[in-house]
Amino acid sequence: MARIRFENVEKKYANGFHAVKDLNLDIRDKEFLVLLGPSGCGKSTTLNMIAGLEEVSDGNLLFDDELVNYTPPHKRDVAMVFQSYALYPHKTVFDNIAFGLQMRKAPRAEIETRVRDAARKLEIEHLLDRRPSQLSGGQRQRVALGRAMVRDPAVFLMDEPLSNLDAALRISMRAEIKELHQQMQTTFVYVTHDQAEALTLADRIVVMRDGVVQQIGSPDDIYERPKNTFVASFLGSPPINYIDGVIEDRNGDGVKFVRGDLMLTLPEEIAAKLRHSDRREVRLGIRAEDVDEAAQGGEGTIIRGKVNSVLPVGSDQFLGFDFYGEELFFRVSKDLSHKVGEDVALSVDLNRLHLFDKDSGQSLLW
Amino acid sequence: MAEVVHQQAGRGRLRAMFGYEERSAIVFLAPVMAVLMGVAVFPILYSFYLSFFRMKLTRPNRTPFVWFDNYTDLFTNELFWVSVTRTVVFAVTSVTSIAVVALLVALLLNQNFRGRRILSTIILIPWAIPYVANALMWKWIYDSGYGALNGVLYQLDFIDKYMVWLGDQDKTIFLIANAFVWKEVPLAAILLLVSLKSIPSDLYQAARVDGATVWQRFFHVTLPAMKPGFMLVMIYETMMAIRHFDLFFILTEGGPGDASHVLSWHIYVETFRNLSFGSGAAMSYVLALVTFALSYTFIRTLGRKV
Amino acid sequence: MTDVSQTRTGGIDYRRRQRLSRIAHSLVILAGAIVLTIYVIAPVTWLVSSSFQTEAEIVSVPPHWIPDEPTLQNFEAIFTAQEEEEITYETRSGQDPAAGGFIPSTAKNLLPAMWNSFIVATLVVILNLLVGVPAAYALAKIRFWGRDGSVYFILITRVIPDIALVVPFFLVIRKLGMLDSIFSLVLTYLAVTVPFSVFILLQYFEGLPDELDKAARVDGCSRFQALVRVFLPLSLPSLVAVVLFTFLTSWNEFLLALMFTQTEASQTLPILLAAFTSDFTISFSFINAAGVLAIVPPVIVAVIFERYIVSGLTAGAVKG
Repeated sequence: MARIRFENVEKKYANGFHAVKDLNLDIRDKEFLVLLGPSGCGKSTTLNMIAGLEEVSDGNLLFDDELVNYTPPHKRDVAMVFQSYALYPHKTVFDNIAFGLQMRKAPRAEIETRVRDAARKLEIEHLLDRRPSQLSGGQRQRVALGRAMVRDPAVFLMDEPLSNLDAALRISMRAEIKELHQQMQTTFVYVTHDQAEALTLADRIVVMRDGVVQQIGSPDDIYERPKNTFVASFLGSPPINYIDGVIEDRNGDGVKFVRGDLMLTLPEEIAAKLRHSDRREVRLGIRAEDVDEAAQGGEGTIIRGKVNSVLPVGSDQFLGFDFYGEELFFRVSKDLSHKVGEDVALSVDLNRLHLFDKDSGQSLLW
Repeated sequence: MAEVVHQQAGRGRLRAMFGYEERSAIVFLAPVMAVLMGVAVFPILYSFYLSFFRMKLTRPNRTPFVWFDNYTDLFTNELFWVSVTRTVVFAVTSVTSIAVVALLVALLLNQNFRGRRILSTIILIPWAIPYVANALMWKWIYDSGYGALNGVLYQLDFIDKYMVWLGDQDKTIFLIANAFVWKEVPLAAILLLVSLKSIPSDLYQAARVDGATVWQRFFHVTLPAMKPGFMLVMIYETMMAIRHFDLFFILTEGGPGDASHVLSWHIYVETFRNLSFGSGAAMSYVLALVTFALSYTFIRTLGRKV
Repeated sequence: MTDVSQTRTGGIDYRRRQRLSRIAHSLVILAGAIVLTIYVIAPVTWLVSSSFQTEAEIVSVPPHWIPDEPTLQNFEAIFTAQEEEEITYETRSGQDPAAGGFIPSTAKNLLPAMWNSFIVATLVVILNLLVGVPAAYALAKIRFWGRDGSVYFILITRVIPDIALVVPFFLVIRKLGMLDSIFSLVLTYLAVTVPFSVFILLQYFEGLPDELDKAARVDGCSRFQALVRVFLPLSLPSLVAVVLFTFLTSWNEFLLALMFTQTEASQTLPILLAAFTSDFTISFSFINAAGVLAIVPPVIVAVIFERYIVSGLTAGAVKG
């Protein structure tokens, strides 16, 4: 029920730290937006500014069309789930969930029904009389969700809500949060440093670094069409491989990427974006999974190297691969057995290559 | 629409400097700041101002401005220097005694034994009782006619006739120091106990594995680790000692002669008996500065070794 | 063969030495505990014991450590003094004049003085909480320009010696016409105690997670409501410590009270006690009884709330 707009927003702290720089972001109504980035990138600050927990230093923050720069959190219709859950230790689970409604002077009967409703949905009805200290981590997480959802807020904010849970629980809670978003029909803003969470949950992802937005887009955009090497590296596991080389565009037999023995003929769509780029130094990105074992592609698609390490990961295996002294990692099917020290040739999926400017790291393709 | 936004933003510039956070902080801090400004900062500044006037309540209508006369008078006044000496003797004696006794108490309370909890409650008693009651109690103990000190020493045959205690010039400051130490040890011991407890036990284990004896462990592990605690105790107790007044007022009134004429007593006499407020203020200022300087140098010198 | 026996004797030797050192260790502890207990308890016991003695007994040489005929007359004198009409040289408690025991006419002021002390201490406690709690919360949880400066400012005011404040205090209070009023005591005691209160509370509030504060505010609390509805219920231990400290400090304070009070309208217990001690005509046993009365309330408080006091002392000390 709310659209949130950042217009040229800056956040500077008293100690001079510039946490967010010139942020322009339009969060659509009912969207699930994920703020993704390493710690200290400004994503939590951005979330806190939406909540009103941190004041905007400069620029405008608008909820729908209302300027809320100076509106304190209790006058904004937002709910928030915290990494540490931040349950009130002196209140029962019921009172924890009810507190937000009580503060907004909801009628008693309504509080009762809404708390019980939320508790039923989250399957924590039997815990309502307990105190937070008597709950497990997963149960606390549910109470924290209940506390936010019972309010039926205009914006639902989550600050790394799953980081304190163990791996198995984290996956199942992810599904529940996604379901919650569909049920609640409200705007979600979710902060995480976990790319997997971002890719599964988000309608759109905002990747941030050092207070600057790197890219805004759907999970597909972010993963398939990263705007720079930072975004490309941040997503994907094992991370994307980089090979520095030059573009050759001479004899009319196609645009090529060259590094030593390696010569990849770039497909037409990519080549079209590289006119007049002869001798240009570029950085080639190959995602770990974008290679194939069998050398079906013929010359112009093959990358050769020596196996450094073999790491089976259940469904497939990671191949550590020595290429001119650099270690590249590829994900290959586990059907084929490789030995350390062996020479291998892998064919590269040319349509999924990424090319970046070597100095600026900006994508040459998107 | 856009215009409205901008108008709001314009008005907001002012509010941005005093946003909700700042406004709440101001409101929450205003009372405490008002109290401290009115009842601590203002008096200090006022006394600084007063220290430039010759102000005697016996001559309320003549308060000439005298520049630094109050300060120069102070430093040429023999009794002032006597009081400084007495204060130093008192402070050094009592602070070292407090440090030693409190260390022993802390080491004892750091052991595990039955009755430890009761003992640690008992040692709070001296801390809790009022200084005046403490003074009254020691005055009675030191009483030369019927006091307990004479009684005990006599019954144990240490003395063959009752002695004069507080009335003896050579003993009086140390007897007062003893009363001071008795009352201050609990606090110091608790502070030292905290720094003892914060020493990680694997440090001892490592020392033991290295073959250190009990004494080596004490001197090489325990004492260095307690340095911050000691620093705190020394600063605090020094400040308490050089400003102490109650015991001197009740036990000796600065006497006999000038044997216990310490600085705080000197200020009191000068101000409230001689009613000379200007020089009283000047001395207050000197004492405040000395206190600051002492705590600062303490932090610097001890802090460097930590 | 020989090796084995050697190690065995070595082992036994070692065990024996260990046992010996353990015994020595507990002996040292026992001795230390006894010495410490005597050191702390003996002076107080002597005071209490002599408050139960008659004037005749108290002047015996050597002293009677335990009263032969314990008497409550000194305490009776304090608690009934009010009802007596006027105590003059002739009517003084009608005891053996040879003993020279004298209950002063100011005995009837003791209970009012205790009451004054109690009122002053209580008001100081209440004001400390009203003033200190919001300040500590703001310093702990609100990030604003000047926060660090405010903390240092409060820290420095703690270091100012009260003797240095006395002269200007006196002149200001005199000018305001507030001499001989308990409100001047309340005000000055507040200034003396509030920095310490703020530090105890600040320490405690900083220990409570920031996210709790954020959660409360997102849940709809203003700053004030977050403090009252979430932080206060969680900070009971530090509140108890503040109450105890400010109460005891006010109850025990002497110097400022000496300057500002003149009559029984505002005199606190320490002032009256001090007046007794400087009067050579007053019975020793009566003075001691008065001293016991002054000691009992703070000692009871300290014993009951030992745990809070120790944690409060250490919290305040770490910062201050």
